[in-house]
Amino acid sequence: MAPPAEHPPVATPRFCFVVHALSRVHRGIMGVPGARMGLIGQWNSGTGPEDVLTVCRFRLRGVADGVVVGVPMTPEDMLADQDRAVDRMQRAVSLAGPVSAVGLGSLCAVVGGRGDALAERLPMPVTNGGAATAWALLQNVRTVCAARGSAEVAIVGSRSPVGQAVMQWLVDDGIRVIVDHPRAARGHDVTVCRTAAAAAARAPVVVGAGPTGGTVPGDCLQPGSVVVDVAIPGTVTGPIDPSVRVLAGEAVSLPIGWEKGFWGQLYHVLSGYGPRQVFACLIEPLVLACSERSQPYSIGRRLTAEDVDAFGIAAKKRGFEPRLAQGWRAVRAEELARA
Amino acid sequence: MSYHLNPDEATWLKVRDAFAAALGLEDDEVEMDGKLIEDLGAESLDFLDIVYRLERAFDIKIPRGGIEGTAQEEAGQYEVDGILTEAGLAALRQLMPEVPAAEFVDGMRVTEVPEVFRVATFYNLVCHLLEQKANGDGATG
Repeated sequence: MAPPAEHPPVATPRFCFVVHALSRVHRGIMGVPGARMGLIGQWNSGTGPEDVLTVCRFRLRGVADGVVVGVPMTPEDMLADQDRAVDRMQRAVSLAGPVSAVGLGSLCAVVGGRGDALAERLPMPVTNGGAATAWALLQNVRTVCAARGSAEVAIVGSRSPVGQAVMQWLVDDGIRVIVDHPRAARGHDVTVCRTAAAAAARAPVVVGAGPTGGTVPGDCLQPGSVVVDVAIPGTVTGPIDPSVRVLAGEAVSLPIGWEKGFWGQLYHVLSGYGPRQVFACLIEPLVLACSERSQPYSIGRRLTAEDVDAFGIAAKKRGFEPRLAQGWRAVRAEELARA
Repeated sequence: MSYHLNPDEATWLKVRDAFAAALGLEDDEVEMDGKLIEDLGAESLDFLDIVYRLERAFDIKIPRGGIEGTAQEEAGQYEVDGILTEAGLAALRQLMPEVPAAEFVDGMRVTEVPEVFRVATFYNLVCHLLEQKANGDGATG
């Protein structure tokens, strides 16, 4: 009897996530794992080609291994010369070793044509997190609408790729949607306002889908309304009524088996995730690396409702679930029921 | 910088393509006198994308902060507490001839300057930088 055939071990999919320094202090902290004294001591600007570094590693046990690599450039440095930023991002990816998908965080997903320029330089698919963000945001908005019994949603930043995808899904859900720019409607049966503040004032549930915020004064919001926001900085600016809830729209709960190691723990804190969640954009390259797809879920402005749907199915299969959150704390749907 | 009054076809097509790609628009939706925010729906990060695509298309470097920074810097010599003075308004009318003069109104804030930007504002800047490049004045990629 022939011995059973031995199967070669199946390689665990590997992905890479590229981040940059959010501030000078953050840049210094990024230098700690590799003892980069110039970054820690602030005498190195972090803009040199040799300054790219490995930040931490994540593993979803038995599913995928990930490496977070860093470009220790502040937002100002990233924007000062986008070609240089793209070059540094490419160098950072090379630190990760062989990977089958690359994801982009913060301004890395914005510079160079929202990831297009980096994608042109790399052989593996590069994805900018738009599908994951839209998926988490959409599920969280659905949860809020169900909890509040609301069938009316205003979308601020409705021209953004994420805003467009969420608008399409909500319209399909039968939700009355209000958008903040005439060009956002794109043939859909939605109510059009001319400003973010005007749109936000008209609905009890407000979606902040723009990439940057500060567009809605807090006193425009209806008392008791809920804002589900993915903008950084936040969509709402100024004082708000105590009855208004502002929730993170793109948090995702972590499945069992998420291993972050020592530096990963630190990254969870510094990036604002908290210990039990991540922002959806981080898991987009993980899901992509595990999939059969050769195309990213989102890159440039290209993001379709179908890609969002495909991403969501694949993410749930790996145990990820959208999570309504306020800061690090999960918010239960029952908490949102109208008093 | 009134290059837009007699546009060069090849330059215009590249500018139009950059705007269409950055804003997710059809080519025919981009017109020279279109206002970026009000008409085309541009958001702050779209400005970065537009600048990047123009830089690549023409092998030029638009100064840090892009056209917004240039305009605000210009205005910065003529503003008090973020509000443009009459001299500041006059300077902007001269700097941006593609914008109807009446849009530079009394009480206008420096931060409101991007709201009057036209596609032509960027077209004129590109032509200006290309002219500098041809003359060997730098500002190239």
